[in-house]
Amino acid sequence: MDRLFEEMPSNPMEHDRYIPETFREIGKRGVRRIDGYRKASGQAVYTRDIQLPGMLYARFLTSPYPNAKIRSMNTGKAEALYGVRAVLRYDDPEIRGKKITSTQGSEEEVLSEYAYFQGQPLGAVVVADTEDIAAQALGLIEVDWEERPFVLDQVEALETGAALARPQWSSAPKGTIMEDWAPPSELSNQMPVSFGFGPVLHFGDIDKGFGEAEVVVEFTARRHYHGCPDAEMLSGITRWEGECVELWLHHQHPYEHKWTMHEWFGIPMNHIKIHSPYNGAMFGGWNWMDYSMIPQYVSALMAKRTGRPVKWIFSRRDDFTFGQMDVMTSDYRVGARRDGTITAVRIKSIYANCSFEGASHILENTRIPNIYSETMLAQVNKGPTMAIRCEQSPPCFCLSQVFNHVAAELGMDPADVALINDGAEGKNMEELAEFKRSHGFPDRDSLRECVEAGKKSIGWDRKWHAPGARKLPNGRMHGMGFIWSQEWDDTRGAGSAGLMIQADGTVNIIALRSDIGLNAETAYCQIVAEELGMRAEDVFFRQQDDVYLPLMTPDGSCNLTTNGYVMKKIAKLAKQKLLELATTPSHLIERDIPAAFPGLKPADLDVKDSFVYVRADPSNRKSVKDVVKDLKGSVILPREYAAIQNTSHEPVYVWAWHRQGRFGLEPGRHRLCRQAHFCEIEVDTETGEIEITRVVNANDVGKAISPEAVEGQQYGGTYMGIGRNHSEEYVWDGPTGVILNGNLLDYKFATIHEVGSVDTIIIETGLGYGPYGSIGVGEDVGTITSYLLHSAVYNAIGKWVDDAPITPDKVLKALGKA
Amino acid sequence: MSEKVSKKTVRVNKPTHDLARYSCPYCLDTFDSFEAIKSHIIDKHKAEPLPEPEGTIHLTINGQKYRFQVEPDWTLHYLIHDRLGFTGTKLMCDRGACGSCTVIMNGRPILSCMTLAIECNGKQIETVEGIAASGHPLVEAYVKHHCMQCGYCTPGFVVTAKALLDRNLNPTEQEIREALGGNLCRCGTYPQHPKAILEAAQTLREAK
Repeated sequence: MDRLFEEMPSNPMEHDRYIPETFREIGKRGVRRIDGYRKASGQAVYTRDIQLPGMLYARFLTSPYPNAKIRSMNTGKAEALYGVRAVLRYDDPEIRGKKITSTQGSEEEVLSEYAYFQGQPLGAVVVADTEDIAAQALGLIEVDWEERPFVLDQVEALETGAALARPQWSSAPKGTIMEDWAPPSELSNQMPVSFGFGPVLHFGDIDKGFGEAEVVVEFTARRHYHGCPDAEMLSGITRWEGECVELWLHHQHPYEHKWTMHEWFGIPMNHIKIHSPYNGAMFGGWNWMDYSMIPQYVSALMAKRTGRPVKWIFSRRDDFTFGQMDVMTSDYRVGARRDGTITAVRIKSIYANCSFEGASHILENTRIPNIYSETMLAQVNKGPTMAIRCEQSPPCFCLSQVFNHVAAELGMDPADVALINDGAEGKNMEELAEFKRSHGFPDRDSLRECVEAGKKSIGWDRKWHAPGARKLPNGRMHGMGFIWSQEWDDTRGAGSAGLMIQADGTVNIIALRSDIGLNAETAYCQIVAEELGMRAEDVFFRQQDDVYLPLMTPDGSCNLTTNGYVMKKIAKLAKQKLLELATTPSHLIERDIPAAFPGLKPADLDVKDSFVYVRADPSNRKSVKDVVKDLKGSVILPREYAAIQNTSHEPVYVWAWHRQGRFGLEPGRHRLCRQAHFCEIEVDTETGEIEITRVVNANDVGKAISPEAVEGQQYGGTYMGIGRNHSEEYVWDGPTGVILNGNLLDYKFATIHEVGSVDTIIIETGLGYGPYGSIGVGEDVGTITSYLLHSAVYNAIGKWVDDAPITPDKVLKALGKA
Repeated sequence: MSEKVSKKTVRVNKPTHDLARYSCPYCLDTFDSFEAIKSHIIDKHKAEPLPEPEGTIHLTINGQKYRFQVEPDWTLHYLIHDRLGFTGTKLMCDRGACGSCTVIMNGRPILSCMTLAIECNGKQIETVEGIAASGHPLVEAYVKHHCMQCGYCTPGFVVTAKALLDRNLNPTEQEIREALGGNLCRCGTYPQHPKAILEAAQTLREAK
């Protein structure tokens, strides 16, 4: 057992050393998706689909104003409406002044009396027989609001005399968490930066860097507010059964609700059961909001009070309460030499509501020696922002802006500028090669491979041209775009899972996780099948129910790599147990049963295609089913085979835990995998509209466990990424602070027509930290392809549109037509 | 002396009390038998003798007959998803922009969230469950080509694609894209759908 674990990688800096020479199931195409039929036939069940007997529906009151306080509230008419079973008010004795913990580390009010964005849930929750009655009752709640001045722009929010986005903080009682945000002596919208390296990142010597520059470019780029309501409207169910509680969760962190329910209601965790049904699109977002666990608290409280299960629900408009954490205004000053090497990058950014370090990719995957990044964060009266596929958006935005402008200034191919500056933390590619050698990684140049494959696919050398130089026969301007960065996944987290071989020889992976559709569960089956020696179709994973072991649950791209190691472990442990069973006789009280392979030791056997076989003579084999079958028989009559499990031998059941690194990078752990993306567009200079005719994605995923899953992320990421810089933007009305497009007609997801064709190239250098040298891809394409359009538009019209999203009005303005 | 005319005697449960007699709801005339009042209503008032409660609709869903009593503000989606329990048909945008609620009604793909149930009396409806149960090759093609990720929009696509193939067994890729233009997929599975639909179309053509 010890030797087994010695073989498993636990050092996050090292490459996986235990990679088979050839693969049978891993990397294989055509492995049937285990969720495919359920989803295509309409049988897959989502939280929104679930109705329990006697279930009530809970809806939240939302604020009509961007910055307001409830002076008083009259809920009498709402309570009197037929079908309303309860109304929870902000001043209810059980919740007033109460702070409840979320697993994000914050303390939240259940129902606030302060609103700091229009549409914020607060004040009251109505619980009624139907959704319609609840909605009607909300309209009957009478509120005396104190409206306050508000601020919507982060730059404006930091100016003297700006309206206070959260004025209640100025009178925060001492000793509360709010005191950290607004020092009592100042009244300001400024907050400490949220993530990253702190308010200032200084790498190298920025002044020296500018001293060495032969050209300097300066520009400003803004990224406006956008988001991603889930396809399935948010909801969750709580049901009490005596002192036990049962939850149905549309949430990416279902297991954490066991802890929170225990904390909130004092129930022991062993009395809590959770379900994680299929989820209709989740990309982080809501799940990272501190408030995201509070509605479940409300439904649990109201289920207790009413004695019936309660489903809290958000309407489509309610869902438009949060956005991506890349709302920023950033000023750039970049120095470079004429040969393409960038010597200095200076960025000053002001973010709204949540920040990330915009220079992190410039630091992590280039050899740029001098970087100075200042980050400021301001609270504004818009919904909270956090990672929506994903937090790396600011770094991708900033890196692409820097490289686009340098390449344009020097008249160079942007892919060449990328290759010239590739590296990590100031190290060049030679130094990185040394790192790869000393840590067991293959000696491959990831970016070069991505660029070469991508250029070939799109015909770059033939098609790329000087900016504004090519007008098409249809009158539009043709443009080619390029973007690159690291392939990230953080390879972090912890997970556990069990494995059991059933009496018929089929295998269950046993764990809870939330599904967001990446085909990860099939990939896990492939890993288990590979390492255990089963056919992939004999391994199954049903993850919707609480089996007390939680896998790393979708957040970021870290999951497959962390969970993949758990799969390796359980498969190896299971194989060991299976071969022991195959070579060990059973001594039962009234019967002796010989081993399946008598006289042999486990080391004499192996498993392949769901058969246990003798290494020295592979034709001597028995199916796994025959090895594990129960031989005890029924109680009364002895039978060769019975359906009773585990009477002649102990169950073949194993479990494992794996922990892999921490968020971000351990010092000195360099990101080695790269991605490169290309596009072809046409710009209509009369209307400002952009047609994206072709996108090519080249992603170095290290090793693709499920190629179709990788491609799915490349396709899906392209549509989401392009859409988020093309047609998606939350629009607020300036004078009232009201969101004008809080619905899916006016907030425009990409349709099938958004992109002409998408090519997917999977590069496998093995340079990832995950099992088999893998790294994630789920977040990457969806985040980075957003910014593919900036270089393409410049190439098309010879003018910069640095602000995102690139809407027609911005194109026309750049052309001097608006 | 009159001729004796034989009379056929019909034994009826003759009401013994005025209140027990059958009273016409239209003209208040009373009758001795249920059959008599029914005939009267049909002949005299040209009306249905056993009117159904207000809001009653008859539907055929996936080949099965149903009778519901619906509120005027119920959408067809609410009826199918919440009352009948065919949860495959999804609600995403709730205003006709996403196609996730698509069902086929009398041969046409329609948006069930924008259709009132009370207007659907007498209609034939196919949902994704019926399409799958009938073994339509689209479903297997969708699985094979990974046309789903989260799966929430997938039923809407399957139904829309089925409606396309019902009228055109040889669609071009452009025709497929046009047909699917009203279906939103946040996960971005779009490029996979034409492949699956073309394959299903071929399977159907070969089966003919």
